[in-house]
Amino acid sequence: MIRTMADMAGALADTGRVNIPRLALGVMLGLTAVAGIFVNPHFTSPRNLANILEQAAGLGFASIGQTLTVLTGGIDLSIGAIISASSVFLAAGIDGNDAMVWPMVAATLALGALIGATNGLLVVRLGVHPLIVTLGMAAIVEGCILLYTLKPTGSTPIWFEGFAWSRLWGMPASGLVMVSTFAVVALCLARTGLGRNIYAIGDNSVAARMRGIPVGQMQVFVYGASGFFAALAGVYFVSRTGVGDPRIGVPFTLSSITPVILGGTLLAGGKGGVIGTLFGVLLISLIGNVLNHMNVATSIQWVVQGLIILAAVSFQGRRRPL
Amino acid sequence: MRGVRLGAVAGSLLPNGLAGNAVAGLVRRARGEFGLLGFLGFLMALATVIQPRFLNPSNLRDILVQAAPLLMVTMGQAFVILVRGLDLSVASLMATVAVLATAFNAQSDVMIAPIFAAAIVFSALVGLINGWLVTDRGVSPFLATLAMMILLQGLRFSYTQGAPAGNLPAGFRVLGAGDLLGVPINLLVTLALAALLWLILHRGVFGRRVFIVGGNPRAATLVGISANRVTIACYVICSVMAGIGGLFLVGFVGTLDNWVGRGYELDSIVAAVMGGVALTGGRGSIAGAFLGALILVMIFNVIVIMGLPVQGQFVVKGVVIIAAAAVYANWTIQHRSRA
Repeated sequence: MIRTMADMAGALADTGRVNIPRLALGVMLGLTAVAGIFVNPHFTSPRNLANILEQAAGLGFASIGQTLTVLTGGIDLSIGAIISASSVFLAAGIDGNDAMVWPMVAATLALGALIGATNGLLVVRLGVHPLIVTLGMAAIVEGCILLYTLKPTGSTPIWFEGFAWSRLWGMPASGLVMVSTFAVVALCLARTGLGRNIYAIGDNSVAARMRGIPVGQMQVFVYGASGFFAALAGVYFVSRTGVGDPRIGVPFTLSSITPVILGGTLLAGGKGGVIGTLFGVLLISLIGNVLNHMNVATSIQWVVQGLIILAAVSFQGRRRPL
Repeated sequence: MRGVRLGAVAGSLLPNGLAGNAVAGLVRRARGEFGLLGFLGFLMALATVIQPRFLNPSNLRDILVQAAPLLMVTMGQAFVILVRGLDLSVASLMATVAVLATAFNAQSDVMIAPIFAAAIVFSALVGLINGWLVTDRGVSPFLATLAMMILLQGLRFSYTQGAPAGNLPAGFRVLGAGDLLGVPINLLVTLALAALLWLILHRGVFGRRVFIVGGNPRAATLVGISANRVTIACYVICSVMAGIGGLFLVGFVGTLDNWVGRGYELDSIVAAVMGGVALTGGRGSIAGAFLGALILVMIFNVIVIMGLPVQGQFVVKGVVIIAAAAVYANWTIQHRSRA
């Protein structure tokens, strides 16, 4: 039964008229929202909706960059390590000193972009699969942070927590920043030559090179961007917790991929986009919100998360990416 | 492929075609298993120079006993990578199988055989599901096994409520860390499994199909091989090896927590890749996977011997992963031909 449904969905998707992943995502968002209304009378209160958006921010920042690397047919497994590194770097650099906040934020974002660009450079120069390069980079970066500190470290002025906690017109500032970042990146992907090049490389990098697209430079740029957005997630977590935690990024290496796939971006590259990822992030946050309200144990939430990923990708039809 | 071409050129200069093939094979091997052996020798020489005690039989024994579970998992992982996949669920499966073993709450060694049987059946089932998702449902291996990893993790924690209880028979400790006639038991088992997998992959019909499917799934279908069935079998082999590896790892560690085997998913992939199993599928060998895992464990040991902080292992591991991949595997940026 499930199989026939999935096959039908695949067939429909192949006609090109219906975007199945997006449809499936919409259906799941709807179902989860309905479930939320049933289990929580305050589900639709502005306060709860703001919470959902706020809790999505960290994952959102982490998965913007991941979407870009996946679009080129690659993957970035160093996102978690970069988040941890930038969180420690930022908090330790500020160390409660007001004047250091903005210079350190800039330095942190630059550091993230630099680590990412190094990934890109290694992928291009060595011709090694991005999976291996970013995995190796993750180990290197993680080792460096842990050599520096094993415990949460550093501190920030109280006002810096505003980025994570304050509200603008009742909406969480961090969520708004996240959504607008998605909007800007989506616009760049759709309207600029840069975006078209990213899709072209993911579609067929050999053809892209023949058409004169600087594939190498583009890859350095994309991995650099991924590192930049991971660092942004790191900045967000420092603002949220007030300290630099050398392990805060660990779960995000793999969890940043889930919304990308849920959003319909193919791991093989060339198809998809960041708006799908945004809705994937919102779905995950929504599910977490509903399950938390039902007092479901974390372990069961993991089971649910695994099943959702499987359900979502099983319906993407019979393509064989990666 | 440069090595192969070089060998072919050398071969064409010889009057006898057969000798030419032999030369081509030799040159290819120099880049493959012999190269790995050379690297292993270099690492051991390096370790000995840094710390002469490295060559103590007791230290070498420790390395091999530690390496055994990773060797098992890596050889299984090689099968999946050969058919263009990868399995991220192995570590989670190792821990789940360990929890399953304690669920028997066995007091006597008589229960070891049933525990192994149950673990193998459970692992095979997990592999079957992974394989079904990847082939029949067309899910990318990365995601299918990632979801399986999270799923198993959730099931395990739901069952143990955080802290595993239950007893393991004392015999597990013997299996994981004991000796038989002066040789570590887990190493003997590893060698036996290696021999079995070598027969399957390099001396049988099934093995030849694995290479054909990995090299070109469409061509495999054209010559009447069911690519799906071969692929599923590879996932089952990988999961079963991970299940067995998990039991031996618990036996070695001696205590059980919910994270036994953590890190083995990535370590096993890295080890296989270092051993020349190409992520693009269709290229690799059991000997290569075996040596790759041995090299990885040796690198960890060298770091310890050098007196570096344990965290330093991460840094060295990262550098070595990238460097080894760049040297051993000829991946191009167009990493996967779209079949």
